[in-house]
Amino acid sequence: MATISSISLSTPRAVPKSAEPQKLSASASPQLNYPWRRSCQLAARRRMVVVSSAPDKIEDKVAESIKGAEEACSDNPVSGECVAAWDEVEELSATASHLRDKKAASDPLEAYCKDNPETAECRTYED
Amino acid sequence: MAVSTVYTTQSFHSTCSISTPSKTHLGFNQKKQILFYNSCGKSTFMRRLTSVFGGAAEPPKGGNPDSNTLISDTTTVICLDDYHSLDRTGRKEKGVTALDPRANDFDLMYEQVKAMKEGKAVDKPIYNHVTGLLDPPELIKPPKILVIEGLHPMFDQRVRDLLDFSIYLDISNEVKFAWKIQRDMAERGHSLESIKASIEARKPDFEAYIDPQKQYADAVIEVLPTQLIPGDNEGKILRVRLIMKEGVKYFNPVYLFDEGSTISWIPCGRKLTCSYPGIKFTYGPESYFGHEVSVLEMDGQFDRLDELIYVESHLSNLSTKFYGEVTQQMLKHSEFPGSNNGTGLFQTIVGLKIRDLYEQITASKAAAPLQATKA
Repeated sequence: MATISSISLSTPRAVPKSAEPQKLSASASPQLNYPWRRSCQLAARRRMVVVSSAPDKIEDKVAESIKGAEEACSDNPVSGECVAAWDEVEELSATASHLRDKKAASDPLEAYCKDNPETAECRTYED
Repeated sequence: MAVSTVYTTQSFHSTCSISTPSKTHLGFNQKKQILFYNSCGKSTFMRRLTSVFGGAAEPPKGGNPDSNTLISDTTTVICLDDYHSLDRTGRKEKGVTALDPRANDFDLMYEQVKAMKEGKAVDKPIYNHVTGLLDPPELIKPPKILVIEGLHPMFDQRVRDLLDFSIYLDISNEVKFAWKIQRDMAERGHSLESIKASIEARKPDFEAYIDPQKQYADAVIEVLPTQLIPGDNEGKILRVRLIMKEGVKYFNPVYLFDEGSTISWIPCGRKLTCSYPGIKFTYGPESYFGHEVSVLEMDGQFDRLDELIYVESHLSNLSTKFYGEVTQQMLKHSEFPGSNNGTGLFQTIVGLKIRDLYEQITASKAAAPLQATKA
């Protein structure tokens, strides 16, 4: 569901507003007979698109791994399972932290220009 | 376990080793390997190091986006996590941590590091930290300087013998705890208890397999809580010790004022004004795991540029190419964690020492064939 909505809603920037409702009705939505619900769906889908997927997923993984570790250790605190579970928590926490930093450090224009230096917005002129 | 920077906190313990090929007689094919442990390729130490050599280190273009490798003009940094023999699921099933040697393929590590040192390209596996799986391998071309960083760079004797220089980043428990709190408290699901539990659970493996590697390192950067503020437990002001082994080929330890003597120095006074809690340096010979070492220690923080240049002007054997190079490097990366204390300072100095080592090795290799032709 999330993927479908992100595809349909990312184009509205280039497409005139009048076309929007038509595009949305084209995507599968059982709520279209109720126009008041449609606007709610629209808003909800728009909100969903703004959120990026990678940090969320890793954050979920971190939270899940912590629960898993607490469970594994409640049975036997010195077992290999318990230790391996906390190691997983550490690995995921470190990865989450890395991804956060990477995201904070990345500039969309710089990232685009690194791969496409010949495009108009990326050309540099040195006299 | 990785290099410590407060914000990134990736690796709280790092070991770094450098090696150059000794058997080949190619004067221009020098390889050095530096090992760090834990934080793969994204650590501040690596960024400072690659910056000293020039150029920015980037992940391989067009490859796996989750690759841990960093490549610059002269240097390639490889993460030893790529040599995990067990992926996350495998480790869970067997009940072993990533710190356990059973989770790592030391034979492959040795083979590939040796091959790269000999000038051959290798297909190195990729351990994907996001998915926890082992991804298809990536081709690594042999670089001039090879840096290997991770948990076990000095664990296997064969790998250890390939290294030209090794560094271990030793973070004390209190500082590690403070840093992990800063890193993880914002993370949903984490609490003080879970952070503590994670550290405690990993301690036995850490002390059994990782910590002992520091005795083999040529340089150890030890990060401890400050002694300038009694009862400080915030971990913001740090006391950092640069422990340098004596007698290592091509490595001349940094010293303060008089080599081999014991010095205690507070630069703040009439000529230099510092804000609380100030800066304190000590230098002197010590013994570390039965080796003779020289230890340069900095406690406190830099607040201003002139403090940094003042300190630099009083240190000797820095291997800088011009006056103020240390300060310039620190300023270049002033946004990096540790830029105002001993961690940044000593990481930068070690980077310059490694450059000096590399140049000496290169020069000696170039001289050797000439001597052979003379004889």
